[in-house]
Amino acid sequence: MSYLELSGLQKRYRDAVAVDDVSLSVEKGEAVALLGPSGCGKTTTLRMLAGLVDPDRGAIRLDGAEVTRLPAHKRNMGYVFQSYALFPHLSVARNVGFGLEERRVAKAEIARRVVEALAMVRLSGLDQRRPRELSGGQQQRVALARSLVIRPSVLLLDESLSNLDAKLRDTMRHEIRSIQRSLGITTLFVTHDQVEALTMCDRIAVMHRGRIAQIGSPEDIYERPATRFVAEFVGRANALPATRDAEGRVVLWGERLPVAAPAGGEFDLFVRPQRIRILPISEPVADGMARVTGKVLRSVFVGDHVEVLVEGAAGQIQVELQSGTALPQEGAEVALVWRARDTLPFPRETA
Amino acid sequence: MNGAGRVLSSLAGLVYALILAPIAIVVALAFSADNFILFPPSGYSLRWFRALGAHGPLLSALWLSVQIASVVTVLSLVIGVPAALALAKGRFSGRDALTNFFLAPLLLPTLITGLALLLFFTPLRLTATLPGLVLGHMTVTVPFVIRMMTTAFSTLPDDIEAAAATLGAEPWRVVRRVTLPLVTPGLIACACLCFLLSFDETVISLFLSGPRAATLPVEMVRYVEGRTDPLVAALSVVLIVATLIVVIIVERLVGIARAVGK
Repeated sequence: MSYLELSGLQKRYRDAVAVDDVSLSVEKGEAVALLGPSGCGKTTTLRMLAGLVDPDRGAIRLDGAEVTRLPAHKRNMGYVFQSYALFPHLSVARNVGFGLEERRVAKAEIARRVVEALAMVRLSGLDQRRPRELSGGQQQRVALARSLVIRPSVLLLDESLSNLDAKLRDTMRHEIRSIQRSLGITTLFVTHDQVEALTMCDRIAVMHRGRIAQIGSPEDIYERPATRFVAEFVGRANALPATRDAEGRVVLWGERLPVAAPAGGEFDLFVRPQRIRILPISEPVADGMARVTGKVLRSVFVGDHVEVLVEGAAGQIQVELQSGTALPQEGAEVALVWRARDTLPFPRETA
Repeated sequence: MNGAGRVLSSLAGLVYALILAPIAIVVALAFSADNFILFPPSGYSLRWFRALGAHGPLLSALWLSVQIASVVTVLSLVIGVPAALALAKGRFSGRDALTNFFLAPLLLPTLITGLALLLFFTPLRLTATLPGLVLGHMTVTVPFVIRMMTTAFSTLPDDIEAAAATLGAEPWRVVRRVTLPLVTPGLIACACLCFLLSFDETVISLFLSGPRAATLPVEMVRYVEGRTDPLVAALSVVLIVATLIVVIIVERLVGIARAVGK
C-alpha cells in the first residue's frame, strides 16, 4: 500500500459535482501535480486532503491509517494557500513558529527551528517584519517556511505560484522543487500551469470535470496523452479532422498516412507543432513517416522559435521550427512530414 | 467649481447647519445666566453647571445609566460575539433563518418592545429594577452586536483561519489566536456603540422605569416636563463632551489596533 491513498473521493455542492471520483496513490517522498483547468475539482481534492472540506464519499489513508474524518488540526499536513493566508497581526517569526507553538514545543527549540526554516527559504533577517511589509515572493516563502517547519507528513501547495510574476515564478519553481527533494517530503501541487506541473513533479494527474483523466510521468502525459482532453490541455497540438479508407488507414488532406484509424465514428488527429518538419515538396518520404502537402501562409518569429502556418486541402497546420533554421518562403508549396507514431487519433467530441 | 457642484455644496452646508444648529443652541443655553430657557441668553455664567452638580436625582440617574450601560455592554458582547461567530463562520442548516430571526428586533419599533416588556416584566416584578432595565436594553443591543460582529467576522478571509487549523490549532485556539485579534478594531467600536445605545435608550426605559429606578434620559424627560430652566442644557453639554472623549479614545485605539493588525 502506498504512503498516501485517495480512493473514490467525491464532493458535491448543492447542484454541482466538484469532485466526482478521484483515486490516487502517492509514494513517500513523491511529488505529484494535480493539473487541470479551473473548476476541474483539483483544489477541492487538495482541501479534502487537508481536512478543510469533508468528502461526501471515499476515503483518505495516510501511512496506513484512515484520516478521512480527522479534523484539519490533527492531520499534520502543511498547506500553502494561493493567497498565502499569513497572519497579518503576527511577525514573520511568529507566523513561522505558529504551528510549533500550537504543538507546545519548547521556546528555545521553536526559535532554533524558525531560524532554520527562514534560512531554508532564504529569508534570514526578516523575522521581525510584518507580512504586509514583505513582497509577494517573500510572503510566499514565509508561507512555505510556516508549513514546512511543522515537519508535515504531506505538503500541499494550492496554486502557490500563480500570484507571482513570471521571473519570480521560475525561481520559486526551482527552489521549491529542490527543497522538496532535499527534504524528501511527499508533496501535492495543485496547478493549472502545465510548465509548473511538468517541471516540478515526478508524476502528473490531469483532472477534468471532477475526475482524473490521466496519471503518469510528465513524459507519459506529454507524449502519450490518454484522452483528447489531455492532448489538448497539455502542450499545444494541431487537431486535424481525418477520415478512414476502405483498408482502415487514416486519410488526411487526401493523403494516406501510415497510421491505423481508430474504430468507431469521426475522429481527429493530434500532432504537436514542434514534431512536424517542413521539407521541399520533391523530397522523398521515409518509411513510418506521415506526409501531407500545403502552402505556407505565414511565418511568425516568436524569439526562441518560429511559428509557421501551412494551409492544405482541408484546413491549416501549425508548425513550430527552432529559430535559426532556414525559413520557408510565404506562398511556397511544401511537404509537412512527421513520424507516424507522433500522430494521435482521438474520437471527435460530440458535445 | 461648476454650477452643479456649487448647488450640491451649499445643499450639504444647509443640511449640516440644520443638524448642528440645535446643538449650538444647547451649548449656548448651557452657559446662560438666566432663570429660564431664553435664546439668546441675556448673560453668560456657569451657574447651571454648579446647579447640576447639586442636583441629586439627575446625578443618581446618570450613575444608574452608566452602570446599566456598562453591564449591558459586557453581557451583550458575551452573548452576541459568540453568536455572531457561529452565524458568520458556522455551517449548519437554518443559519440564514436564524440570522434573520436575531435581526428582527432591530426592525421592531422600540415602542412595541417597551410595551411588551412592561407586560411581561410586571408579573415578574422586574420593572423599575436594574436587572429589568438591563434585560430591556439588551433586546436592542444584542441584535445590534450580532449584526455588527457578523459583518466583521464575515469579512475575514476564511483562508487565514484555515491556515491556523492546518498548522495544528484547535478550533477555539483559532478563534483566540487569529479570529479575535483580527476583529479587535471592530470589537472595540462595537462595545462603544453598544454602550452609547444603552446610555441613550429612552423609549424602552420610559416603560420600564419607576420612581425607584430611572435612567438619565427618563429623568431628563421628567425634568423638562416640570421645569423650564437651562439645567438640562448644561447636562447635555456634559454628555456631548463625554461622548466626544469616548469617540476620540476609540478612534485612537482602533487606529492603533489597525496599525498593529494589518
